Amino acid sequence: MTGVLTPGPKNPSAPTATAVQRRGRSPRTRVGEARGLTRAGLWLVLAFGAIVMIVPFVWLIRSALMTDAQIFSSPPAWIPDPFAWENFPQALTAQPFARYFLNTMIIELFVVTGTVITCSLSAFSFARLRWRGRNVVFGLLLSGVMLPYAVTLIPTFVMWSELGALDTFIPLTVPAFFAGAGGGVFNIFLFRQFFLSIPYELDEAAYIDGANPWTVYWRIIMPLAKPVTVVVVIFTFIGVWNDFLGPLLYLTDDSNFTLALGLATFQSTYTAQWGLLMAASLVVILPIIVLFFVLQRYFVEGVTLTGLKG
Amino acid sequence: MTGSPNLSRRDVLKIGGGLAATVGIGGSLAACSGGNEFEYMFWGSTGEQDAIEAMLAGFQDTQEDLTIKPVYTPADYDTKLNALVASGNVPDLGYVQPAMAYRLAEQGKLLDLAPHFDEYPSLGQRLPGSYFYWEEDKCLGTQGANETVITFYNRAAFAETGAQPPPASAAEAWDWDTYVENAYLLTADQSGRRPDEAGFDPTQVARFGTLASMWSGAWYGLLLSAGVDVVDSSGTRTMLDSPEAIDMFQKLVDLMYEHRVAPSPSQLGNNAPSMAVQLASGRLGMAIDGQWALLDVSQADFDFGVGVLPSLGTPKTTAMGGPTAIFADTEYVEQALELYAFQSDPDQVDLFSSGLWMPLEEKYYTDPEAIASWTDNDAHPPEYKTAVIDYTLENSQTYFTQKLRNVEEIDRLITSTTERIQTGEEDVATVMGELAAQLNDGMLQGVYPSAPQ
Amino acid sequence: MTTTTVDRAPTRKAPPGPPGGPRRRLGRGEARWGVLLALPAILGFAIFTIGPMVASLIFSLTDWQIGGDPQFIGFGNYVEMADDPLFWKSLGVTTYYTLAAVPLTLFVGFVVALLVNQSFRGQSLWRTVYYLPTLVPAVASAVLWIWIFNPDFGLFNTILRSVGLPTSNWLYSESTAIPSLVIMATWGFGNAMVIFLAGLQGVPGQLYEAVALDGGGAWAKFRHVTWPFMTPVIFYNLVTGVIGTFQVFNQAYVMTEGGPNNATLFYIYYLYTKAFTDSEMGYASALAWVLFLIVMVVTVVLFRNARSWVFYEMGDAR
Repeated sequence: MTGVLTPGPKNPSAPTATAVQRRGRSPRTRVGEARGLTRAGLWLVLAFGAIVMIVPFVWLIRSALMTDAQIFSSPPAWIPDPFAWENFPQALTAQPFARYFLNTMIIELFVVTGTVITCSLSAFSFARLRWRGRNVVFGLLLSGVMLPYAVTLIPTFVMWSELGALDTFIPLTVPAFFAGAGGGVFNIFLFRQFFLSIPYELDEAAYIDGANPWTVYWRIIMPLAKPVTVVVVIFTFIGVWNDFLGPLLYLTDDSNFTLALGLATFQSTYTAQWGLLMAASLVVILPIIVLFFVLQRYFVEGVTLTGLKG
Repeated sequence: MTGSPNLSRRDVLKIGGGLAATVGIGGSLAACSGGNEFEYMFWGSTGEQDAIEAMLAGFQDTQEDLTIKPVYTPADYDTKLNALVASGNVPDLGYVQPAMAYRLAEQGKLLDLAPHFDEYPSLGQRLPGSYFYWEEDKCLGTQGANETVITFYNRAAFAETGAQPPPASAAEAWDWDTYVENAYLLTADQSGRRPDEAGFDPTQVARFGTLASMWSGAWYGLLLSAGVDVVDSSGTRTMLDSPEAIDMFQKLVDLMYEHRVAPSPSQLGNNAPSMAVQLASGRLGMAIDGQWALLDVSQADFDFGVGVLPSLGTPKTTAMGGPTAIFADTEYVEQALELYAFQSDPDQVDLFSSGLWMPLEEKYYTDPEAIASWTDNDAHPPEYKTAVIDYTLENSQTYFTQKLRNVEEIDRLITSTTERIQTGEEDVATVMGELAAQLNDGMLQGVYPSAPQ
Repeated sequence: MTTTTVDRAPTRKAPPGPPGGPRRRLGRGEARWGVLLALPAILGFAIFTIGPMVASLIFSLTDWQIGGDPQFIGFGNYVEMADDPLFWKSLGVTTYYTLAAVPLTLFVGFVVALLVNQSFRGQSLWRTVYYLPTLVPAVASAVLWIWIFNPDFGLFNTILRSVGLPTSNWLYSESTAIPSLVIMATWGFGNAMVIFLAGLQGVPGQLYEAVALDGGGAWAKFRHVTWPFMTPVIFYNLVTGVIGTFQVFNQAYVMTEGGPNNATLFYIYYLYTKAFTDSEMGYASALAWVLFLIVMVVTVVLFRNARSWVFYEMGDAR
């Protein structure tokens, strides 16, 4: 079986990516019982790991239901006594969180859309089209994230100020449509890495049929890139959700504030209201947990590429 | 862009205007935003935010043409202010950290208030130590509020253990040994043993007598009481390697490791529960901290008291506060000055009566009626008059970080040095010697002028 | 031997230039399309990135203090750095942290990704649970870890004590502060895991069957299929991990403030203090450019080195 790796790439009619789902559908093994045992072991390992992973979350929940005195009691308690349910109404009414949620979602809408489209397009160009200076340009882009933002922050701020865009969402959203300018390079790089591992024969076949690069990008590459697209969506969404410094700098009027800024008020300069901070944090991260839970299923479905088989 | 009230046509115009300005077609478009807005920039907890916004709303009522706009910046205040300074978007009035305030003043970015002191007596008659003069006759303003370092304590803990409560007047201030003795009485492990009893388990302490805070604001008063200061009168040589200073730091270290009546930094932890929480829960008997903690302490449901600091000779404490300044670019100097006076009036801001702030005008420390206006309430215990007000007036000295030049670098070095000391593993005299060598090697660059007497 | 062939596959050298044939159909158009599609990124760089970069490079040659008038001082800031003990200290701290945290995070992220990629009941839940730590807000997780690390009553020492092992001062001792932060960073492997997980979906399944037919076990499958197909993603995580970790900031900012005695004085934390507490933007910019050069060199080395181990379908992509 020379070239275990080669059949796919060398044979356009059966591209590697038409992967059979390995799990479950792989040929029935003779060693069913052994599998069962492995499975049990796997379960144990995962369960142990999960406990370690979930500690902070449990801790967050219990702190959200405690008074400040209890949060730091020594030795620490796991069960609130009594349950400080009032933390929630108190935290959520201390700031206009509905307004902050709306603001955050508006920013999310623009940033996620802009980032996914422009970053994947650029990455397609860097990974699958040949043009002079391509690698130099990519290197330049990547260099943009190697310079600490602390020193580019002021010039960038001055630029937006000159453009009269302070206290608007423009500085927070517009760069997303330029491949996320700056930090977005990581997304281009990520898309590029994935695109590079898709067999090139797919493109070639399409070009023979008269397709142009846009068609290849849109009809062939992107459908194959669901898992990585999901990763970029998740990361971008969470990035905006938690971005604190950007909104802090560019937004002045507190009716424009975002959730992350709202949270920060519970741990302001020199003071902290821990119980409220934990309660508000818990509420604020719930949507992203749900988002992740929903989106991660694409990490399975991404490989069912039966559509390509024809 | 549906649903986005913030990307309105006005903003699109702004962008257009900004672009036009950049290419030099019309610079005026970008500059016309803002109208008659007056920005007040500040930080603080949600409680402080509410109080300041209420104060600003009160001031708004006195104004017809001016819109007062609160610019609340919960964190990374310096970062935002730097960005605003660099881009020429400074607020009209705002909190500023001391070192940055001096820097901005020297750069001509802050208004000199000295010429206006006669016109606004409430500006001119404040505690002498509260002023920030960057030159002999140029003053960028005063502290936003005054604060003093005092001792807080849990009355129940004292009653329980038979310890004497900390004295409420400077004249009766404890000497160090009395302080330590009482801390011994307060400290107990889980099985009720005191540190001087056999079988005391230092890893299972139920209550610590006191805190050995290595925060410079907390030890500065002790240092002064020992008769020395951080710098000598020239401002260029440190006194932190003097025998008195070494002795003071050794005493603090001993509280943790020798007497075991105070938690070590590792027992306490960074971001630890606030002092108020520890006092209220009985985990702590007493603590030296800033007067502002009165807000939290008085709101935590327990019987507390306040007292003066122990003394190593002459009773002394630290007075401090971050400056509030008017930015030189403001078009509304008169209104800015009015607001400047307004914001420090206990009748307008409830942060004075709630315990967070102490007033700046001297009359609030001397005139009984004025004193009652901000202390006659539940937050201020009866002994407050002697333990805090008189103590401040008679025994306080301004925090050195408000006066030293190059204080950021100095402060970083002092902080990392005290972190070494508080591990209890290094020889205090050696460490202080190293600190002094570095400080005296050009890091100390003198002091800013004091208020003219 | 067959396995040798497979082994070498990832490192095979692609023929230089386009393989010819079909590609010619795109002809010159390919370059035009290439630039066109990359235009958002190129414009973004030109508009939003290069200006501030050049500005900071110029600042680095001045003594600019925000608000003041900058004086050109040539390489003065860079010379000053050579004598600045905190510069060296922060560089050492950051390098130490990067060398420890990046490999550990990648390793754990990779292993867990392999685990949660198996199909079993509640897979979605497991994945979410493993990703949770990266979702907990920085401040909340900082408070949590400060408690976990508390030498007196913290979780770690309580466990160590109960099994009779020596305890540690964790964050509160100069020698263990960084290792403590490395443990904390490793626990946030979720982002690396998610990227690996996405990468695993691109591994062609039939190749596993081919290995199985050939008599290969789990290790052979991993070694000859999973690993080579995952190398582009591993490479991505390695490069971005290094770039990101050199710029680590939050732990020092939220948890340790650089202490004790500067043991956790991360480079960016020091730079940030210089830039925004001291307003010394000239010096901070010089600090930034030195880090830039260091990270650049490391990245170039990684990219060169990648040729020997990263497997791309499109052979000439590096």
